[in-house]
Amino acid sequence: MCVRCDMLTRRSLLVGGGAAAAALHTGAAQARVLPQQMVPLVGPGYRPTERDEQGLWKEMDRVEEEIAGTNLLIDNPRIGHYLQDLIGTVGGPAAKDFRIYLLRIPEFNAMMFPTGFAVVFSGLLLRMRNEAQLAGVIAHESGHFLRRHMIRSWRDQKRKTDILAIGAMLAGVGGAGAGVYLGDYVQLAQLGTILTLFQYSRAMEAEADAMGAKLIAETGYPPIEMSNIWEQLIGEENASARYRGKHRHRGSIFDTHPSEGSRMVDLKADAAEITVPGKAYDNHRARYLTTIGPIRQMLLDDQVKLNDPGASQYLIETLAQDGWNGLLRFYEGEVWRLRNRDGDELRAGQSYAAAVAYPDAPADAWRWHGITLMKQGRTVEAKAAFSRYLRMKPDAPDDAWVRQMAG
Amino acid sequence: MNRKMILLVAAAAALPACSSVGGGDYGFSNYSLVRVQRQRVGDGSLTVAAARPWNRHRSVMFEDIRQVEDWTLNGPYLDGISFVTGLKDGKSLIRQRRTTSQQVPVFRSNMTPPEIAGMIEGLYRVRGGAVDFRTLSLQPRPFLGTNGFQLDYEHLDDDELWRRGRVVGTVVNGQLYLILLDAAKSHYWDAILPDFEAVVASARLSS
Repeated sequence: MCVRCDMLTRRSLLVGGGAAAAALHTGAAQARVLPQQMVPLVGPGYRPTERDEQGLWKEMDRVEEEIAGTNLLIDNPRIGHYLQDLIGTVGGPAAKDFRIYLLRIPEFNAMMFPTGFAVVFSGLLLRMRNEAQLAGVIAHESGHFLRRHMIRSWRDQKRKTDILAIGAMLAGVGGAGAGVYLGDYVQLAQLGTILTLFQYSRAMEAEADAMGAKLIAETGYPPIEMSNIWEQLIGEENASARYRGKHRHRGSIFDTHPSEGSRMVDLKADAAEITVPGKAYDNHRARYLTTIGPIRQMLLDDQVKLNDPGASQYLIETLAQDGWNGLLRFYEGEVWRLRNRDGDELRAGQSYAAAVAYPDAPADAWRWHGITLMKQGRTVEAKAAFSRYLRMKPDAPDDAWVRQMAG
Repeated sequence: MNRKMILLVAAAAALPACSSVGGGDYGFSNYSLVRVQRQRVGDGSLTVAAARPWNRHRSVMFEDIRQVEDWTLNGPYLDGISFVTGLKDGKSLIRQRRTTSQQVPVFRSNMTPPEIAGMIEGLYRVRGGAVDFRTLSLQPRPFLGTNGFQLDYEHLDDDELWRRGRVVGTVVNGQLYLILLDAAKSHYWDAILPDFEAVVASARLSS
């Protein structure tokens, strides 16, 4: 269900105490699942025939209805169609049956529900460097559906807990205080609780990884991008922890479980195995950036304003590996401004000054450039920057204050 | 503001309330009455007079730092006024651990109104569960006899409710003073705004 289930399970253990322990899977590392072995178990137009699965579908229809109507949905028809087309391409035999919803939540996550609808968080779109990476995540999620992981894990849970109705299980899990970690954001449709019920085993995650790699390779995306996603995620979490003087995994319960690193290694091996020499693969970076272009500033804003400087700086630098621009330089400055340690004001000012040298610098870069100059006593230059800001953003909500500064 | 915390506090309050016999002012409560008379708020360096009785509640939104005090009329999910009184350079609006990944920015004495506005936005995004935060206006406004500012904003929180806020603030002798209104956008904002404005108009630095 979730891209980050391994990690999420471990986090929720910390949050929920022992309640989640039953869902954890122990044991030694297992052999890699080979992409070639991954055969879809459902075809187009799948409908459940057994009673317990039918009951589950009925419950999930209600959840989907709630998600489809929430005001957390990002209402951008172009991006909506794009995501629908993407899952329609890499979704295997069930491709045309899937639905996909984009929620505005600044966390790296995506999840698939038993009836074939997927939820993608906006924080995921920010972190993907190209379409191939996004396709990889979506294909991984599709893999869970195609391999019938939800109903398998649901039946497994039911056997263990001896509770028959999903409603009772939801109440039970909720009451026990367990929950999959979704940031602190989602109260919607009891998502965290539902995801806890469908926690996948490591074997299932391995299957979904292998299936996902196979699906994207078949549709012409470079399969190596699947392991690149993990590399980026691990890098970001390390950077975040380092910044706050923590160690990511060391000396904790995490040590006894396989790291995302092992998934990354397996995915690298998958990629080497299924890449066909001489075949042309395309990560469609340009198409991806053009599509998310209209909301990219919003995505960066949502992340950077969480003031997690390690993670944000890592993310910006990762995205900038494809080239710096005014938007990324501006948000680099925002990271320093919000961190606000000694010397950060100067660093932020340098980033704003660098940002406004690019033609794509957002209006806000000019405003903050102006504020920095004003604080440095460079009044004339500050006024010019403020004027530029107001020209670029005539309906600026702070125009009364800025006009006073611009004199 | 952090709604999970509110629920926890509410649950903690409920138990002693159930066990108290005879009611009245006995037992533990998170709320106390704010009477219609001039009174000190926060760390005592600010006085205000409310036009009708309010409920002072144990700090939830900002957690308990001495310089902050929270009031509500209909409960903190629906409306509230917070006072920030004399917050010093290098301090943040809430208590937070050094190792917490996401942090509310700290206040600096030399901050301009847009920087203070950014700090307030951070509070909502980092601690309030806001997924969307829109600045509606930022304008100069005299406050406590100084050149202060007024910030208007609205935010969509993780409980899928839009709320609206107004902050009137200023920096006096390097210390931050704010009065902040936050209320559900439908009904409560309009209903409570006149009260907030009256409180702001009555605010004086205590000598």
